[in-house]
Amino acid sequence: MLAYILNLATLICINAVLAITLNFIMGYAGIFSIAHAIFFGVGAYAAAYFSMHVSASLFLAVPVSMLVAGLLSLVLALPALRVRGEYFVAASLGLQVLGVTVFSEWKSVTGGLGGVIGIPPVELFGHAITDPVQFLLLTLGCLLPILLITNILLRSSFGRNLKAIRDSESAAHAFGKNVAAIKTLSVVISSALAAVAGALYAFYLGFINVESFMLDTSVLLMAMVIIGGTGTLLGPIVGTVLLMLLPSLFSYMWFLPQTEIGAIQQIAYGSAMVLLMIFRPSGIVGSRKRSNG
Amino acid sequence: MLVLQLLINGLQVGALYALIAVGFSLIFGSTKIFHFAHGSAFTIAAYVFYYAYSVAHIHWLPAILAASFATVLFGVLLDRFVYAPIQADEGSFFTVFVASFGIGIVVQNVIGMIFGRSFVSVATPLSRSIEIVSGLYVSPLSGIAIVVALLFFFGLQFFLMHTHVGMGLRALSENPELIRAYGLSPRRLSTIVFALGSLLVVPAAILSSADAGLNPAIGHHVMLISLAATIVGGVGSLRGAACAGLLLGMAENLALLYFEPQWSEAVTFIVLFLFILLRPSGFFGRAIAS
Repeated sequence: MLAYILNLATLICINAVLAITLNFIMGYAGIFSIAHAIFFGVGAYAAAYFSMHVSASLFLAVPVSMLVAGLLSLVLALPALRVRGEYFVAASLGLQVLGVTVFSEWKSVTGGLGGVIGIPPVELFGHAITDPVQFLLLTLGCLLPILLITNILLRSSFGRNLKAIRDSESAAHAFGKNVAAIKTLSVVISSALAAVAGALYAFYLGFINVESFMLDTSVLLMAMVIIGGTGTLLGPIVGTVLLMLLPSLFSYMWFLPQTEIGAIQQIAYGSAMVLLMIFRPSGIVGSRKRSNG
Repeated sequence: MLVLQLLINGLQVGALYALIAVGFSLIFGSTKIFHFAHGSAFTIAAYVFYYAYSVAHIHWLPAILAASFATVLFGVLLDRFVYAPIQADEGSFFTVFVASFGIGIVVQNVIGMIFGRSFVSVATPLSRSIEIVSGLYVSPLSGIAIVVALLFFFGLQFFLMHTHVGMGLRALSENPELIRAYGLSPRRLSTIVFALGSLLVVPAAILSSADAGLNPAIGHHVMLISLAATIVGGVGSLRGAACAGLLLGMAENLALLYFEPQWSEAVTFIVLFLFILLRPSGFFGRAIAS
């Protein structure tokens, strides 16, 4: 039972990192990315590759995976953000589909559909972290700084610029803000921080394959942010905890067909998204009505 | 010969993509609703036809009618009970998109639970390919797809240009306020747009399931095509969306000359990306770059 709770807590922390970073662009910059799982995956594969071939040290592997994911997001964001918001949805959906193909075909790095096995445990000052409690602490140790960094950023002038762009792009432009640069930077930050979650995930499981980084994951992350409350501090965390507890909750309901748990879970959060948008667009945590997306 | 074969396949796939894209573009252009559940309309049409024709063994004509009815009903109900309340309240791009996205998730999983998540195929007498010249296989479906796409497209053009309702729909895309001033109801027009847009995916859904089969997750592919074609063709231009759909179908098939089939969606993405990069207003669109 303890092992089960530790496992769930670690996964919640990893997903919370993803939800917080997704909220950073969705809630504050008004950019809707359906490709967040790809940056998660790029982080995971980069960390796996680096730790197996160069070094498993946390302070080397994590920055490398952040760098790779950040650069990739730059390639996507530079052209796609010059134009309207709908375009980014389309471009990110395309990237998500393309990314899954690359993950399952680039066999020398990603191991194809079989995935990467035998990822060494992460090392912190030369000490390999294998104990689940220690790993949970490490994940928390990554989650908290990320929460802090995104918060500091949002309270800074950069964050105010982001919100200004979200509320009115032309107004921000008229005030002399470089809209495209600010949006691009926010996407790069968000993707690089999502890669931290990817690296942690790879080290935690010691095995990764493409199934963790499919469209379903991107959709789940989006649901976490939206159900919790976009553009709020606690929203993504509340959403993550809720949606991560949902499968275990459903498995206690004996009357549900156990083989369909996955589908029932998706139906549950899909309908939650629809109902929330009709009755409470700001999510569970949000109270104030959003004026403009 | 391979090139010719791929060209014919590309034309068939492209014709169906054009229908899908025109449906999405019509809805998005006139109501400004980012109808992400357009893919679900496709899935519903395809599965209703599959169930009626291949499982219940009903004659093809009532099966098509059943599929059309279910799909139009889906579109209209969605407009009435999901989009209308949201739009009455505030209706930002974000809220509508998320609700539509949620519908997509629900439909995909409900269909997955009913029909299973694996691949199903619909075998019709027309699905078999005939060898016309040695090495060149063409199924009657290719011809039907092209003819149906042309019929629907020109029918829609005629409807939009020459009927009162059609003119109202075009006016809706220009200025919803003015519509009210002329005593027309934007709500009623929106219902008609959803009925029409959903109806347009029905032939595409039926023909492509008879040709290539289907699975519950096909809606995502349909959405990618619709979005890519709408952007490549230029937002708000039906002609552009149709041409772009055709272009994407052709590109996807001709790419098979050089790449393995699993890369076909990558080709769609590259075409989309090049357009965003080089010509963000699309074929016929107005300049929209911010």
